[in-house]
Amino acid sequence: MELRPILSAMLRNKTGAILVGLQIALTLAVVANSVAIITTRVEKIGRPPGIDSDNLIFVQSYGFGPNYVQRSTIDDDLRLLRSLPGVISAAPISQIPLSQGGSATNLGPEQTREKVTINTNHFSVDEHGVEALGVKLVEGRNFTQSEIQYTPDPNSSDFVPFVILNRDAAKAIFGTEHAVGKTVYDLSHSAVVIGIMENMLGSWVGWDKLTQVMLTPRIEAGPLARYVVRAEPGQRDALIAEIEQKLANSNPNRAITYVKSHTEIKKRSYRADSRMVAFLSVLIVLMVSVTALGIVGLASFHVNVRRKQIGTRRAVGARRIDIIRYFMLENWLLTTGGVVAGSILAFAFGQWLSSAYSLPRLPPLYVGGGVLVLWVLGQLAAFLPARRAAAIPPAIATRTV
Amino acid sequence: MFAYYFRLALKSLRRNPMLSGLMIGAIAVGVGVCITTLTVYRLMSGNPMAARNDVLYSVTLDSWDSNKPFADDHPELPPPELTYRDAQALYASDIPDRKVMMRKAAFVVEAPPKSGVAPFLVTGRTTTKDFFGMFDVPFKYGGGWDQAADNGSQTVVVLSKKTNDKAFGGADSVGQTVRLDGHDFKVIGVLDDWAPTPKFYDLNNGNFDEIEELFVPYGIGEQYEMQSAGNTNCWRDQQIDNFQDFLNSDCVWIQFWVELRGSEKAAAFQQFIDNYVREQKALGRFERPLNNHLRHPDEWLRVNEAVQDDNRVLVGLSFMFLAVCLLNMIGLLLAKFLGAAPLVGLRRALGASKAAIFRQHLMEVGVIGFAGGLLGIALAALGLWGVRNLYQNYDELTRLDFTMLLTAIGIAVLSGLLAGFYPTWRVCRVQPAAYLKTQ
Repeated sequence: MELRPILSAMLRNKTGAILVGLQIALTLAVVANSVAIITTRVEKIGRPPGIDSDNLIFVQSYGFGPNYVQRSTIDDDLRLLRSLPGVISAAPISQIPLSQGGSATNLGPEQTREKVTINTNHFSVDEHGVEALGVKLVEGRNFTQSEIQYTPDPNSSDFVPFVILNRDAAKAIFGTEHAVGKTVYDLSHSAVVIGIMENMLGSWVGWDKLTQVMLTPRIEAGPLARYVVRAEPGQRDALIAEIEQKLANSNPNRAITYVKSHTEIKKRSYRADSRMVAFLSVLIVLMVSVTALGIVGLASFHVNVRRKQIGTRRAVGARRIDIIRYFMLENWLLTTGGVVAGSILAFAFGQWLSSAYSLPRLPPLYVGGGVLVLWVLGQLAAFLPARRAAAIPPAIATRTV
Repeated sequence: MFAYYFRLALKSLRRNPMLSGLMIGAIAVGVGVCITTLTVYRLMSGNPMAARNDVLYSVTLDSWDSNKPFADDHPELPPPELTYRDAQALYASDIPDRKVMMRKAAFVVEAPPKSGVAPFLVTGRTTTKDFFGMFDVPFKYGGGWDQAADNGSQTVVVLSKKTNDKAFGGADSVGQTVRLDGHDFKVIGVLDDWAPTPKFYDLNNGNFDEIEELFVPYGIGEQYEMQSAGNTNCWRDQQIDNFQDFLNSDCVWIQFWVELRGSEKAAAFQQFIDNYVREQKALGRFERPLNNHLRHPDEWLRVNEAVQDDNRVLVGLSFMFLAVCLLNMIGLLLAKFLGAAPLVGLRRALGASKAAIFRQHLMEVGVIGFAGGLLGIALAALGLWGVRNLYQNYDELTRLDFTMLLTAIGIAVLSGLLAGFYPTWRVCRVQPAAYLKTQ
């Protein structure tokens, strides 16, 4: 009912309306795409690691000098770690999940170059590895103590007779077939799958083969040794301090290079993603604030220049609510124009991002959400100036400027 | 006149403090965000070897599997590292003016017992002698070694500044002894601060890693059968039982760079490596098509995608944000200037020229831009402080330098003027007569 006069007033001040519309359009494009990027990163960071991440401690020791003996050092360290109160389990481990450092091996169901192509993250552990990591065996059995291999030469490419695969690795190699009892091959070795465990994540957070993991029964040759220690809930931080102190002086032929929680290791690996999330969140807040303040500023200004006109309207019988409604409706029209243009811009921008930087495509839901938010935001921003306008007394119409 | 316009501008800004604050604030956050992302981007996309870019080359050979390329997502690229034996063969060439082969290795450092420092693990680099000269590495004390030491016959070490600070409290340690992995090494040099960003000479374990903590002659690695502490990639089904097997294997793990002064030398060395690979093909190695490259540092950084896409996306988004801030400012300025149109009409009627009105308003816009720029720099400093917190040990990466300060002011004033131009032009077209009548 009031649309016509509002529209014609807007047409008389096209520039102002276009400016606000463009601002809203750009804001929608940036916010929708930023939220989409944030969501994928938050999902990435939040992927369940499949191990008892919150209660895990990783220890690294590095031997040196002629008196260092890897095997006995590891046996002594494990005995000490397992004896500490609050420790559920401890095991040697060749690499640390989600640490951005690791080993991967190409595996296949047959020993041909065409078939050995399933890249698999690989962790060497002893018979305590499964319990220490906190993964669940779902089929088959765990390694036994006598199956744990040890080759003193660190250069040896010897393999192991048995392996445990996680579900994703088993599925990638054998498809839907039952994997326990089958043989996996690399280019020069083979091993029998004795167990299948629930999914756990491998070494590199940005790698698309991250979900394919193999455990091998092996203690690695020196001088590097790593341990995974699983603490009882609530005991982790106290144990880190205790382990640091107990291991520091237990053996003069090696240095303890770190004792760290898995939480800390993970945080470091995901820091590029965290940075993106933090930066984009700040950007969204700033952008929405600037746009909202811009709307407030412009609406206030319109109220000021129209004081006389508003007073006149009030004097000839317009109610306060009519004045408020006028400004709110004007703002709603502006916002709507902006979000229509903005939706197109958002999809175009999203298309460009996904083709130039191989980001996932922008889900329409995010644009829809953005439209709703901007509508509400626009109305909120216009409300204050509109209420000020409604407070203009009718008497003002009778005064000259 | 300048001072008068300046006073007028301040007066006008004070008349409407909310609106002025909003405009200055909008420019400031826009500039702050842009400068923050630009600073990070510039540091990450920098070429620390820009001064020597023309003469330095990384060397890569495609020694990989005939069935599949080294990297599935970049099938055109050879592996970024060489095998031990190929590196040995190329190093024998006397075409390059200087050349270096090198790799990472871990060392446990035992400081002198009296220092009371517990043994600590560091990442070191075993390298041939020209590393320091080719890459302009600054020394604080002493220097590198000569050719006689390259084969590992002398146990000498160059410490990074950080390691020297830790083991010797920053003192001149040249001539002192440190124990590395249980062997005595004589300190012959200590580096000064050096943080090549990105770490162009070895991008394998993190483009922005710090430099190694100590450097020893290349031959030390073989002497003590030290495993690689960097990236090692293997593809061939070779049984490896000992260190010698590993050295002979087709695993790639050695970084190789050359210095070639002049294009004739570059062409000659390219010819040399191609011939070498052809000879090897005859022996049954190098099953892939000829794909050997000499790349300058800038090209090397580009093909290895040292700058992450994230940083480009952030810069793009930041400038879109700046655009929103400017649109905001144009709208507010337009409203403000046209609101004051009656005053302009009066001044025009009293004899002010269009040009004078234009200059006066442009001054006001300039003041807003400049104030916004200054505030923007403060915000950028805050933003970079935030980035530093998110990115531990990246202090060097995220410092505002003089160029960025100038850029910030430049962006602010330029965008301020750009935003102010249209409203200023509009207000100049005010017809005095229209505003002299009473409403």
